[in-house]
Formats: sequence, structure tokens, C-alpha cells
Amino acid sequence: MIQAGQPHSEPILSVRHLTTRFRTDLGLVTAVDDVSFDIHAGETVGIVGESGCGKTVTSKSIMRLLPERVSRIDPASKIMFRGMNLATASESRMRSVRGDQIAMIFQEPMTSLNPVFRIGWQIEEALKYHTDLNRAQRRQRSIEMLRLVEIPNPERRISEYPHQLSGGMRQRVMIAIALCCEPDILIADEPTTALDVTIQAQILNLMEGLKRKLNTAIMLITHNLGVVAQVCDRVLVMYAGRVIESGTVHDIFHRPQHPYTQALLESIPKRGRREHGKRLPTIPGIVPSLHHLPAGCRFAERCRFRQDQCVDHEPELLETSDGRAYRCFFPITQAPMAPTIGGSDVPA
Amino acid sequence: MSLLEVRHLVKHFPVRGGVLNRVVGHVHAVNDVSFDVRKGETLGIVGESGCGKSTLGKMLIRLIEPTSGTITYEGQDITALSHSQMMPLRRTMQIIFQDPYSSLNPRLTVRSLLKEAIAFHRIVARNEMDDYITELIRRVGLRADAADKFPHEFSGGQRQRIGIARALATKPEFIVADEPVSALDVSIQAQVLNLLMDLKDEFGLTLVFISHDLKVIQHFCDRVMVMYLGHAVETLPCLELDEQVRHPYSKALLGANPIDDPDQRRPLTILQGDVPSPFHMPAGCPFIGRCPDVIDRCRAEMPPIVEREPGHRVACWVANEDVAEPAAPAKSLG
Amino acid sequence: MRRLLKSRGARKFTRNRLAMAALGIIAVYFLTALWVLLGGISMEATRQRVAPKQVPGFLETRTLEERVAFAMHYIDEVDQAVRLASRRDQDAYEILADKALAERRAAKMSTDEYNELLDEAFAVLEDELEGVEDLSHHPELEPRVERLEEIAAALYPVPQGWEGVKYRLRTFLGSDAAGQSISVRAVYSVKVAFQIGLITSVISVIIGSLLGAAAAFFGGWIDHVITWIFSTLSSIPYLVLLSVLIVVFFGTIFDNPERPFLSLVPVYVAFCSTFWIGPCRVIRGETMKIKELEYVQAATAIGFSRLYILVRHVIPNTAHLMFINFSLLFIGAIKSEVILSFLGLGVKGQPSWGIMIRDAKDEVITYFFWQIGAATVLMFVLVLAFNILTDALQDAFDPRHVD
Repeated sequence: MIQAGQPHSEPILSVRHLTTRFRTDLGLVTAVDDVSFDIHAGETVGIVGESGCGKTVTSKSIMRLLPERVSRIDPASKIMFRGMNLATASESRMRSVRGDQIAMIFQEPMTSLNPVFRIGWQIEEALKYHTDLNRAQRRQRSIEMLRLVEIPNPERRISEYPHQLSGGMRQRVMIAIALCCEPDILIADEPTTALDVTIQAQILNLMEGLKRKLNTAIMLITHNLGVVAQVCDRVLVMYAGRVIESGTVHDIFHRPQHPYTQALLESIPKRGRREHGKRLPTIPGIVPSLHHLPAGCRFAERCRFRQDQCVDHEPELLETSDGRAYRCFFPITQAPMAPTIGGSDVPA
Repeated sequence: MSLLEVRHLVKHFPVRGGVLNRVVGHVHAVNDVSFDVRKGETLGIVGESGCGKSTLGKMLIRLIEPTSGTITYEGQDITALSHSQMMPLRRTMQIIFQDPYSSLNPRLTVRSLLKEAIAFHRIVARNEMDDYITELIRRVGLRADAADKFPHEFSGGQRQRIGIARALATKPEFIVADEPVSALDVSIQAQVLNLLMDLKDEFGLTLVFISHDLKVIQHFCDRVMVMYLGHAVETLPCLELDEQVRHPYSKALLGANPIDDPDQRRPLTILQGDVPSPFHMPAGCPFIGRCPDVIDRCRAEMPPIVEREPGHRVACWVANEDVAEPAAPAKSLG
Repeated sequence: MRRLLKSRGARKFTRNRLAMAALGIIAVYFLTALWVLLGGISMEATRQRVAPKQVPGFLETRTLEERVAFAMHYIDEVDQAVRLASRRDQDAYEILADKALAERRAAKMSTDEYNELLDEAFAVLEDELEGVEDLSHHPELEPRVERLEEIAAALYPVPQGWEGVKYRLRTFLGSDAAGQSISVRAVYSVKVAFQIGLITSVISVIIGSLLGAAAAFFGGWIDHVITWIFSTLSSIPYLVLLSVLIVVFFGTIFDNPERPFLSLVPVYVAFCSTFWIGPCRVIRGETMKIKELEYVQAATAIGFSRLYILVRHVIPNTAHLMFINFSLLFIGAIKSEVILSFLGLGVKGQPSWGIMIRDAKDEVITYFFWQIGAATVLMFVLVLAFNILTDALQDAFDPRHVD
């Protein structure tokens, strides 16, 4: 059994009541609504959910990378990192945090590197900004970093341009840039979604190894439940801007409490003879629009255990003694009826 | 019985370059691929980006012209047909695309985009048109009032249903589904897969299902063909995939996919290196650059496709060592 | 079209206040042009003498000398008529009856009454104003000038009511060297501008879009030929090409100032033959992108012909670019018309902003800015409005601007 972080130690990142709103053509929307979680040193926390659930906005809020013109982090939000509140920190303060103490890698390895600069230059740039190393040392460190992310011939690769590298290689370079200042936290936003499965395996393996070597905490944002099962210690499930369940990866996969988590897990195609060619259990309907959120539970419309109470009132996030939390009046283990697999295909 | 017989299909895309825009080489997208699709079955084609699976799928319905080889559909070689001779066959062969956004013309309502296909092939009489469209829309799980909406008013999953309705509109027998669920969220992916499964049974469709996700193929298809760099390296029934898989690349694909269960965590199979560009094909086996157990013969010669057991065909020197004599090329490649 | 109006782009566009203001201004111009076209201002009206030459606009701003000259213009007019009448033994009013300066006609009175007023006027002129070097140094003479004006007004009264309004409008911006109304000519030019702008931009966008779409969609030799034509055309300096094309029309029926509509044909031909290149390039690029999209492949899979797919599935999806290009070319045409007319190659037989600016080139030296001012201000406002509109269209519909 994998140790789920160090629950008793002080978390290095503590997010409390994070709320981020966007101004859109159709009015104000709350993309992330009252999200709270902790990340401890050396653990991997997965944030899963379908598109539009707010997982990427959560990560960009922590990095304060959202466009200020259209977005606003609620002043009551707290993103505590090393005794400072990133939600209200000044931009110059954020610049020293970004890349140095919290680093981020993105989904698109094709567009996250600047095509007109050599690989080495792009790693050295980050080092120049955040460290006092001289030129020769920076070059030395860049080569070390490329070697660390298992790029063959780093001495030669360092003077190549991004277009000369494959997608997997570019993602390795991105990881090298992210890790060159030995950050406390690495935020990986769908790092393998754009990659082929054999390359995904390489990158996941690499991240796992680096985490052990450098004791970096990883916040992994993904919609791929297989990736979560493979690398995460703890998981947050998000739905329509809310955290609807959190717990250890084992709890989430084997004893989900929220009907959404359960349904999501069931809808993945299974291997094996028994399941072959069978209809998959599905979640009827679609995710509600952030412009027209229901008054009650946001999942109520699609929930197979829905009661009147769910439609009228939104449940609070209930934290249990064993470190789990869920946002449901009728969690699976206390459900009023046995789960019926399947459901209508017809969207509402 | 085979509905479709593909023999030695090849597609090379010319690559132009230089000042004079001369052809400087070819991308070998599909290299000498042969297979059969039986009536009523679902054949999965799996492989990584650039392996030629999508090009192959589009060649099957002649959206892309093959460089050489034959595609025989119900006894008729469709690669030799002219545009007008192809017309009646177009009705019976359809395609579903990956991207639910770029696959629907943003300026046409659902009704008009279905109507043009139905009217073109005279599927139903003019006065039955509206009923037929309503029925079609309902059948793919949309509400009847969806007919007069524009694509941008739908979500990704609903758009994919519209794409399916368009493919079904002409009452086809054979459909190529090119990554139909790759762009969708997990829960929506399940809805669309279920729909395809139901429609397949209801209309007796024959499907070629292209995907990069072996898990989806394994669940959904009868047989799977694994492609690597334009070559079909292994073909076998999906039910035997876990136990019988022989080709090192197919094994790697299986092993690189994380299992959706934290209790069954295992080290992922790691293939060294990257997928080579189909512009510079290695001599010998296309997989030598990444293969964990290469022997000298792999570098020198392209391994022949050997039918190890009925329905299980592998192209690998090492995996086929236990088969003494390469079996004579079978008449049917089913 | 329905989709275009309901789309996000359209919403973004209608919310842009500046763009809506620009659209309003363009609408006002357009209605003016339509009104002129339907006979609101006849060609004769633009040629009619409404005042002495080079009367500055807003009338009040004149110096004492100019006021004397202006009054004397009317007094002389009557004086000549009276002399002619005495020679022919006729009533002076009969001679004056047709002599109108805009709506301002001679007062109906007997020859003796005319003479009485004329005598007084010449008395004022000879006794008090004659020999005065510079009236501006003698403000005490102003009452005399006023008296002179009163006499002029008595002889040639400013009409009352609607006629008076029309008169004031016509003389509002003064008159040019030929005594023609600047305001009438400037407003009439709105029609000419729209005529040239609309016809050339519509034709150019249609030709350019069709050729561009066909080139990209069919590729092969069609693409080669079209690309060759537009790269060749665009490598020739634009004004030289225009001038040459217009010179070709010299001496044909299209070179007749008496037939203003026909004489614009060379301008249309010259503009259209160069302006289509812009939309052609843009639409060709867009079509290249669209033809790879899956809905085009889906249409191919259904079995539709290439032409059908081009017309039904490809070209409608470039409509937003056509709008933007239309707007750009409209401005281009108006500005080029000015240059051509200035060179004497453009509009013939009717006023236009270009003609007005050309006519004004000698006046400017004498600090007479009314003609060039009227033409440039009207043009400036229209071009600015179109520029704002183009920007707003681009913001709203160009996918690169959509977030």
C-alpha cells in the first residue's frame, strides 16, 4: 500500500475556499467554487473531472496565470504557500514563486516551447532568472537536467530547436525546465493527453522517478482515470466547479461515495471476456452549463439516486474522520437503494 | 463471408521541398496492408499517431486515393471505379469523424445537412423526408427539436451523435469510424460507444473502428489490427488479445496502458525512443528502432506475415520462431 | 445568414458601441447617397451659380471688403439689368426675372424703384468707400457697409420659409471659383463615392472570392493560373496600372463628360481589375483550411460533386472574410478615386471629392480652405467610420481574434 502523503506533517500548499470567477459575454460565471485541499511534500495529488469542471482553472489560479482582464480570484480565497497567500500576493512576488518554487507543465508540448530559441537557451533562461549560477554553470546544469529527464545525447540536443524534437521529447524538455530550479510543487496540467500511449508511459515513469529523487509534490490534472490510478496518492474529483469528492486513490477507486465518481469509474471500458461487447454504464445527460447552475446538487439532474432534497438543496462537503470528503446527501455506502447499473442514454 | 477485401494497399504521400517545389521524397503512410472485413463484424485498427490508421480508413471509402493495391467491396474492386461509378457505393459506405467540431458545417442546420444526403441518394420520398429525419434524430438519442438547430448549439457529444446520424442517413452497410470517441469526455464516450453498439446490431452494420485507445477497441471490437509505421504488424480476435498477443509492439501497447485500478499498479512497459518518422523508413522490420528483442534478421529483412492460428496473423521474426514453416498465404485473410 | 446573426461574433459586434456608431454614420451617408441618386440633388444643381466666386462659408466670417464685394455682386446684377432695360425699352424686372442665384431672386419693383436704390448704393460706394485703402482699418465705416447690404437685400431679398432654408444650405459652405455651391457639390459627391465604392467592392469581392475559393479548392493548374495572375498583377505598381487602364479608354464613349455614368466605367474597370487580389488571397487561404476540414470530407463521402461542395459547404463559410474585405475595399476605392481624379483620370462631368480637391489646389494658396475642407472632412468621417467597422468586424468574426 502506498503511503498517502504524510497526513500529519504540515502541508506545503494549502488551498482554502478558492473561488475564481470569469466575466463572459453571457455574464459572470464561477468556474471554481469554494475549492479547498492540501498538498504535502512528496505526494501526488490528482485532480480529475470532465472538461469544464474547473480543474485547469484551479491550477492556473494557484499560479495566478489567468488573464486579469476577465477573471478574478475571490478575495476570501486563501492559497497558502510558505506562509504567504498567493491569492493576494503581488505580481513581483508571484514571479519569484513561479518557476522557482512552483513549476508548471502544460498539455501541448508543441506550443509550450518557444520555437525560435534553442532548447538549451530556454532552460538557461529559467536558471538565469531564478539562480546566481554563471554562464558555464548554467550550461552544465541544463545538460544535467536533460540527462535527468532521460534525453539521449544532451550535449548535442541542447543546441537544437524545438521543431527538431518529437512531442515526447518536447514534454521532457518542458519537465526539465520546470524542474531545473528544484521546485517544491510541480503542477502538471494534462501532461500526457496529447501524447501517444507508449510515450505517455515514458513520461509517467519519468515523473514518478523524479518525484522520488527530488521529493517534489505533484499536482496532476487529468481526465484519464488510468493515469490517476497509476501515479496518484490522493484524488480530488471535480464537477461543475465544485470538489465533489476527495480521498486516497484506493478509496476513490474502490469505495467511491459520490454517485458521480462511481458512475465515472463504471463508464470506462473494461478489459476482459466478461465485459467484452457489453453496453457500458453511462451517465445520462450532460454537464450543466456554468451559466445556469441548478439550485441544488449540481449532479442531481444526472444522478441515479436523486431525491427531492438533492434538487432543492446543495449538500455541503462532508469531511469524515478517515480523511475523506464528499458532497452528497446520500453517499453510496448509505444509499437508500442498491445501485442500478446503466441508465438512459438519452441526454436531457 | 468477407464484405471488404483489402490487398497490398499502399499509400505514399509525395513530399515537396526546395525552391522548385520538386518531390523530394515520400511519406510511407500505408505500406502493403492486406486484410478482410467480414460482414457484420467490427474490426478495430489501433496504433499511435502517424501509423497510417486514419489514412487507411479514408482509403477504404476512397476519400484518399491509394497509390497501389486493391479494395474489393462485395466482389467489386472499388479502386478502379470512376467518380460516377462510385456514386451508388457512396451510399453504402460512410464515415464518422473524430472532431465533433470540424466535422459539421457550421452554417447548416441538422435538418439541412441530413436532408442533402438523403435527397441526393433518394433514400425516401420527398413527402416522407421530415418523418425520416425526425426518426433518425431520435434514433441517435437527440430530441426532435434538434433538427432545426445549428451545430454550435450542441455539446461535443451531441455533435458526435449528429455526425452519426449523417452517416446513417443514407442507410449504409459499412461505416468507417475514425476515432469517433477520442475527443469526448469519459462519460460521453460511453454514451456514444453504446449508441454505436446498438446501431450496429439494429442496422446490421459492418464497422471499421479506428482508435489509438486499445482499451476502447478491446471492449468494442471483434478483431483488432495493430498498425505500426504503416504496416499491419498483428491481427487477432480481441477476446484473445490479453493471452495470445505475440508481437512485441502489441505487447508494449497493452503494457503501456495504465490499469484503472490502483491496486493493480505495475510498472508500465516502456518502449525506448520515439515513433520514427514515416519519411525515413528503416530497412527491415519497421519496429527495430524500439523493439526490446531485435535479432540480426530483423535488420536485414522485413518479417513476413504469418498466420499462426486461424485469425491470428503476426509479422515478427522473433515471435514466429516457434512456427517452423511460414504458412502458405491464405486465400481469405479473415 | 440566420446563423451569422445569431452567432457569438454578431453578439460581440452589436455590443461594440463604437462600431454601432460607425454603422449609424455609414447609414446616414448611405441614405444621403440614395437621396441624391433619386434626384435629391440634380446634376444641374451642382453646376448652378449660387454666389459670387469664392465666397467663404458660414458667411459671417467675412471681412468688410468681402461684404462689400458680396453686396455689390447683387447691386451690379440689377444695375446691368436696368441698363439693358433702358436700351431695349423694357421693364428691368422682366430681365431679372430668370436671373436667380440659388433661391434668391430679384425683388419685384419698377425700374424707377430699382434706380432709386441703385443711386443710393453707388452714392454710398463713391462718396464714402471709394479710395479707402483698407477697410479693416476703418471700423467706423461699418454702418455704411451695412447700408450697402440692406440695399442688396432689398434688391435681391433672401427668401423666407423653406426656400430660405434651401438658400442658406446651398450657400452654407460658400462657393467655389465658378460660384458653384460647395455644400451641394460635397453632398452630391457622397453619391459618387458610394457608387464607386459599392460597385467596385462588390464586384471585386465576388470575383476575388470565387477565384480564390476555386484556386484553393481545385488546386492543380487552376491554382497555378490564378496565383500567377494575381502575383503578376500585384507586382505592377498599382497607380501605374490604373493610369494605363484608364488611358486605354481615352477617346471611347466612356471618355465623355456629358455622360457621367458611362465615364465612370473606366474607373470601375481599373479598380476591379486590381482590387480583387486582396479578397482572392484571403479567401484562397481560408479555403485551403476549410477544404481539409472533416465536414468537407463527409460531404465527399456522401458522393456530392466537387462543385456542389465548393458552393454549398466551402464558400458560405468564408462569408465573414468577404464582409471584412468588402469594407476594406470600399475605403480603398474612395481613396483611390480621389487620387485618380486629382490626376485628371478619374471622375468626369460630375463633382466628386477628388474633383473638388483638385479644383481647390489653387485656392489653398489664398487661404481659401472651404472647398478642400468640405471634401476632406466628409471623406475623413466616412473612411474613419468604415475603418472602425472593419476593425469591429475583424474582432467579431476573425477566428484568430475569437478567444
